[in-house]
Amino acid sequence: MIDDTFFWLGHPVDFRPGETFAAALRRAGLDDLGPAMGQLRGRYFCGIGACQACLVSVNGAAPVEACLTPARAGVQVTLAALPACEVHRVAS
Amino acid sequence: MLQADVLVVGGGPAGVAAAVDLIATGLRVLLIEQRDRLGGAIHRAYVGTGPCPVRRNAHHERRWQALLDQVNQAGERLTLQLQSVFLGVEGDGRYLFDDRLAARVRSVRPRAVVMAVGGVERVLPVPGWELPGVATVGGMQVQLKETGEAPKGPILVAGSGPLPLAYAAQLAAAGQPPLALLERGTPFGAALKQPAALLNGLRSWPALTEALGYARQLWRARVPYRTGCRVTAIEAAPDGLRVSTVDGRGQTRVYEVAHLALHDGLDANQTGLPPQTAAGLPVAWAGDCREVLGAEAAVQDGRQAAQQIAKALQQPCPEARFDDRLQSARRLQAALRAMCPAPTLDIAPDTVVCRCEGLRASGFAALQGAGSAHEIRVVGRFAMGACQGRFCARATQQLAAHTRVTFEPRDLHGSVPRWPLRPVSVAALAAYADNEPISSR
Repeated sequence: MIDDTFFWLGHPVDFRPGETFAAALRRAGLDDLGPAMGQLRGRYFCGIGACQACLVSVNGAAPVEACLTPARAGVQVTLAALPACEVHRVAS
Repeated sequence: MLQADVLVVGGGPAGVAAAVDLIATGLRVLLIEQRDRLGGAIHRAYVGTGPCPVRRNAHHERRWQALLDQVNQAGERLTLQLQSVFLGVEGDGRYLFDDRLAARVRSVRPRAVVMAVGGVERVLPVPGWELPGVATVGGMQVQLKETGEAPKGPILVAGSGPLPLAYAAQLAAAGQPPLALLERGTPFGAALKQPAALLNGLRSWPALTEALGYARQLWRARVPYRTGCRVTAIEAAPDGLRVSTVDGRGQTRVYEVAHLALHDGLDANQTGLPPQTAAGLPVAWAGDCREVLGAEAAVQDGRQAAQQIAKALQQPCPEARFDDRLQSARRLQAALRAMCPAPTLDIAPDTVVCRCEGLRASGFAALQGAGSAHEIRVVGRFAMGACQGRFCARATQQLAAHTRVTFEPRDLHGSVPRWPLRPVSVAALAAYADNEPISSR
């Protein structure tokens, strides 16, 4: 059934072709996607691209919603970087 | 090169129904959809081979399959842009979308537009609703449809209305019944007190049989269905979540779960939509983004929108009336609202209100003196996060009402939509080239 792999923070995550990154992360037990804005955590919530809580970066590219984006084999996936305004807030 | 008379945004039942009917009148349609397949949330495609093991409403499935067949026969009058996200409208009438497959922003200048971007779930803020492992019922359900697999570990379904019932039953059918299904309202009591609503509910035979099927599924799996029961707090626990609940008699109960699915109703997803009254260009909203009436009505509403647009473009089209069917969907929704009324907000100070930036109710209290939706937004940053207030506008409005500042949730967006609606990379913007004519005339 499972026949492909991507890498979440360097760790292999299996997925089935056609599945979203979010579905594969859920199966792997990866609900907590790491530190996000406002001391919250990156996480899956709405499943339809509306809440923007599951933004990930694929091979270092700009943020996309893990809940919408079909998983691809061999790519490196991380939580999307914090927006600049948050960095500013931490620094001030 | 993109060629189209009409841009349809959203590949769920409303958008696809509109596209199919527009094509039948001879117009050329560009249909954009954010996912890699058509279907929207209701018909989220199963990725496995064979039929999806998750049971779905057979009537909806047949209707959807018929629409897909029409899409497949549409020929070159239909251009399908998948994995393309609507961003907004330029002042000069260019509709921009992020073509994520091509990694570039593209635009069209259509003669008319149908917006069919569906609904968005309402979830009442409770302490801990921002934690990983907490998701909307709809969010959990699309994953169940997509993978055919229930999430591993104990799960609790809570909130209000028909969707939690459907999802709980589908979980049970998938061999992973939830620990319980908690309904905030008391639908049976409410129905007895409001015979008119009960009667309206009974008039919708397909909805009734669907609900009874779900109830039977839950009963077989011995899933407790607790009415008048709500979640009061969620905490992170070593193995997942500790969910505290209280019922109508004040009895508390704690559930230890891996996943919590919440849902308190549906709202039309209207954030940032180009208005239907835009001068010059006919724009129609269709389906749940116009009015939440469900999947079946969305098809009718999409067809109605297609007719409006065809008329506006002076394209001959067959006359059809959709009022009766929309009205019966409206009756059913009203009956459901009477049985599961919208709850009042009761929010503790440390509860997260804004799920994007972690703003809490206490932060709102510190905003004393903010006298308008605009000030609450620009000074307090409520509804300013990446979701543009889709999940906090209602709570913010209610918090403001407590301090006697009254406005509608949509007022938080201001009078001008804030485009782009979704994250878009600078690289995709830089790759934009404005030389794609859209209209054939």
